[in-house]
Amino acid sequence: MSMRANLLRLAGLLKALGFRGRSIVIGVPLWWLVLFFLIPFLVVAKISFSEAIIARPPYSSLIEWSGDGVMLIKLEFSNYAYLLEDSLYVSAFLSSLKIAFFSTVIVLLVAYPMAYRIARASEGARNILLMLVILPFWTSFLLRVYAWIGLLKTKGIVNNLLMSLGITSEPIVMMQTNFAVYLGIVYTYLPFMVLPLFTTLVKLDSSILEASSDLGARPMTTFFKITLPLSVPGIVAGSMLVFIPVIGEFVIPALLGGPDTLMIGKVLWNEFFSNRDWPVASAVAMVLLVLLVIPIMLLRNAQTASSEASS
Amino acid sequence: MENKQTIATGAKPWLDQSEAPFIRISDLTKKFGEFTAVDNVSLEIYRGELFCLLGGSGCGKSTLLRMLAGLETPTSGRIEIDGQDVANVPAFGRPTNMMFQSYALFPHMSVEKNVAYGLKRDGIAKPEIADRVAEMLKLVQLDGFARRKPDQLSGGQRQRVALARSLIKRPKLLLLDEPLGALDKKLREETQFELINIQESLGVTFIVVTHDQEEAMTLSSRIGVMDEGRIVQVGEPREIYEFPHSRFVADFIGSVNILEGRVSEDAQDYVRIRCEEADCNIHVSHGVSCSENQKLWFALRPEKISLTRQRPEGDFNVIKGVVDEIAYLGNLSVYRVALENGKILRVTKSNLDRHSDDAITWNETVHLSWDDNSGVILVQ
Amino acid sequence: MKRQSWFLTIASTLGFVFLYVPIVSLIIFSFNKSKLVTVWAGFSTKWYGKLFSDPQIMGAAWISLKIAFISASLALVLGTLAALSLARFRRFRGKTLLSAMISAPLVMPDVIIGLSLLLLFVAMENVFGWPAGRGLTTIIIAHTTFCMAYVAVVVQSRLITMDASLEEAACDLGARPVRVFLDVTLPVISPALVSGWLLSFTLSLDDLVIASFVSGPGASTLPMVIFSKVRLGVSPDINALATIIIVTVAIGVAIAASRLKPRKGG
Repeated sequence: MSMRANLLRLAGLLKALGFRGRSIVIGVPLWWLVLFFLIPFLVVAKISFSEAIIARPPYSSLIEWSGDGVMLIKLEFSNYAYLLEDSLYVSAFLSSLKIAFFSTVIVLLVAYPMAYRIARASEGARNILLMLVILPFWTSFLLRVYAWIGLLKTKGIVNNLLMSLGITSEPIVMMQTNFAVYLGIVYTYLPFMVLPLFTTLVKLDSSILEASSDLGARPMTTFFKITLPLSVPGIVAGSMLVFIPVIGEFVIPALLGGPDTLMIGKVLWNEFFSNRDWPVASAVAMVLLVLLVIPIMLLRNAQTASSEASS
Repeated sequence: MENKQTIATGAKPWLDQSEAPFIRISDLTKKFGEFTAVDNVSLEIYRGELFCLLGGSGCGKSTLLRMLAGLETPTSGRIEIDGQDVANVPAFGRPTNMMFQSYALFPHMSVEKNVAYGLKRDGIAKPEIADRVAEMLKLVQLDGFARRKPDQLSGGQRQRVALARSLIKRPKLLLLDEPLGALDKKLREETQFELINIQESLGVTFIVVTHDQEEAMTLSSRIGVMDEGRIVQVGEPREIYEFPHSRFVADFIGSVNILEGRVSEDAQDYVRIRCEEADCNIHVSHGVSCSENQKLWFALRPEKISLTRQRPEGDFNVIKGVVDEIAYLGNLSVYRVALENGKILRVTKSNLDRHSDDAITWNETVHLSWDDNSGVILVQ
Repeated sequence: MKRQSWFLTIASTLGFVFLYVPIVSLIIFSFNKSKLVTVWAGFSTKWYGKLFSDPQIMGAAWISLKIAFISASLALVLGTLAALSLARFRRFRGKTLLSAMISAPLVMPDVIIGLSLLLLFVAMENVFGWPAGRGLTTIIIAHTTFCMAYVAVVVQSRLITMDASLEEAACDLGARPVRVFLDVTLPVISPALVSGWLLSFTLSLDDLVIASFVSGPGASTLPMVIFSKVRLGVSPDINALATIIIVTVAIGVAIAASRLKPRKGG
């Protein structure tokens, strides 16, 4: 009770100071995000135009004062030029897009039957199954990726199993390959696709499907002509929740991928931590941001469209 | 159904020139962007009335109600409650209370706590709150349900809790948003009378929003019919039914036959209309301010028409037709009579005779006739 | 549809198996006597002992728990404020901006968030002198910032689906806005607040990339320690840690499930 009283007193005090309740409720998160989310991007942009120097911090200042008080703004475009010249970066961008795209498709194919099955299940079974899907999501992402190391190693569990069953005579190299990266991505992002799909599929009125079969359609036809099109919002939402973050993924390519697994997240990390080249890392980040703007806007449009449709 | 006067003396204050209105709404408008929900509404409501705002969806009645409650701010106009201008008073400061369509019972509070909520906000002492809550629960016949939570109650019980909660502060004005909408038919009828009784015994002024015209007719002292943000007619139920001002109102309340015609004779104490579509001449036994050859409409309620095989005497107020459909409803029968040009007229007839040997049947040629003062002339 | 096709059942079962095989293998090999993942040398709990006596891991765990607790709590407050603004206030200056900023972190790659925040902290230190060096404070700020987006999503969706007339009813009965929030809104959205907090706690505890960027000397989080260890290969004490986390989460989820079950009809 005294907690409420204190809050009310605080509210009264702020009101006396001229802060209307509404402006605080809006202002606090707004300004926090402006300071700690928006402005950082501006800082990244600024540094992407500066030069790497041996100093603390390791980048040159944009604004210089010449002897007679004239302000010079020095924009180094060399970082961006460097990105274009060195094929590493372009390849890394393209490779990231490719990996993100294909892994999204694979995740969709694996997740769809699961989501569909859960949606069609009885109430009690549904909750248990959902719990089973969500449980891995709550356990550490890092540790789940680590689990694959043990499985995919040359002397790892899978190889041991295959060899002891006589299916193979030599261990298959799976670690540090693109295959492992795909596996890792599909594995860790699976819940992110199952849940939106489930949400959409569960809203599907089963009487629509019954009507379709009543009108003479076979199960496959009903699926492709009715279920699938109606589940598109879930597909789009899930795909965006996988595709966009995977482009910039670091942990999975770092732990499961090899030196020839080019992903832009890893490149950015190396640029920053290994090469200590902050300006180039910033330039990479800026380009990545620009690349992501379109898919992010697609996602927001899909989100607002679905929330308007359901309201 | 004789509607009880809700005002103690049985008087009709809206007819009394010297009586000051309890609620005065002047030129009230509410716009949502480009859309005008309430368009320049002016209304006067008297103390102790059970006033109904009646209209279809989107007519603005709920918006008007919410502005009275203080939940929407008007774009322009004034609202006076008991002489007090409430334009700048927020909902929590107004002498009004509202009963919501969804009941809006606080799910995490018991019935007791729900009903007591308003009194606690007023800072009333605990023992008094307990007494008043108990009293209120008794009034709505829910004593014994005090400890239950809303999800343990039936729809009708929840509705009564909502009513109790909104009345316990003895507001000057109670606003009810489709209070009976969620109840099934039988429950609705019972609750309608309970509502009237409670209103009478407490003497609170009620404003009810509804789309159900039967409900409006049963409950109200007066009805305000709304369409597209405007009030199109205000009056007692009988007035609205028997003396509608427009085709919209005539058609909205009950069912009606509307004949279009032109004035053929305009005299001081009668008017004659020639109706081509029904091929008949209409004689109305009172004067109407109109001009010769003016186009107007004649509204005739189905129960005011006689159906006979023989053509009655006279040249006026007779139409010939063929019985197209008959619906037997037990207490009355509804006849759909087709005229020569295809227009259908509706006639209802009480089934006074238990034996139906000689009743009028399908495809018979019949004559529809009515009295000189049975119908209403409408100019809009 | 009561008839379930066999294709569907097999495909979805395979999916679930796929989801759990790695987790199960982690648990099994946390009890392996041998260090190698290859051979099962017998049951042993020695790795658990090793885990608890490792000061680096234990220290990092403690730091991570502290950070997660504080970040989740801050994120809860900020995210709820944002959710209230977006769900309850019809129009205000900056609505589009707030809406965009609160949803962006959900899909923004960690490397970008991490890099940008670090650069901000460095620039701020240069200009204002604060934050002086990077460590717990900067990690907490970073975690709060991206966690509040998740809280906002969860709370906002609850605010939208709840009956808005509940708040109007309270107001109509005489409650002022703060009272309405405390008496009605807060209790009704409390499940969303709890799940928002838990979600933030988990995300903070699990974050590697952002913490790596914005952390400083002496502030190594658990994921950072785990990462440096597993880069070198399999380490059974990590398996032990994983098993503990998995079991804790499983118990937590089971408790949550049992508390949700007795709800009537949903």
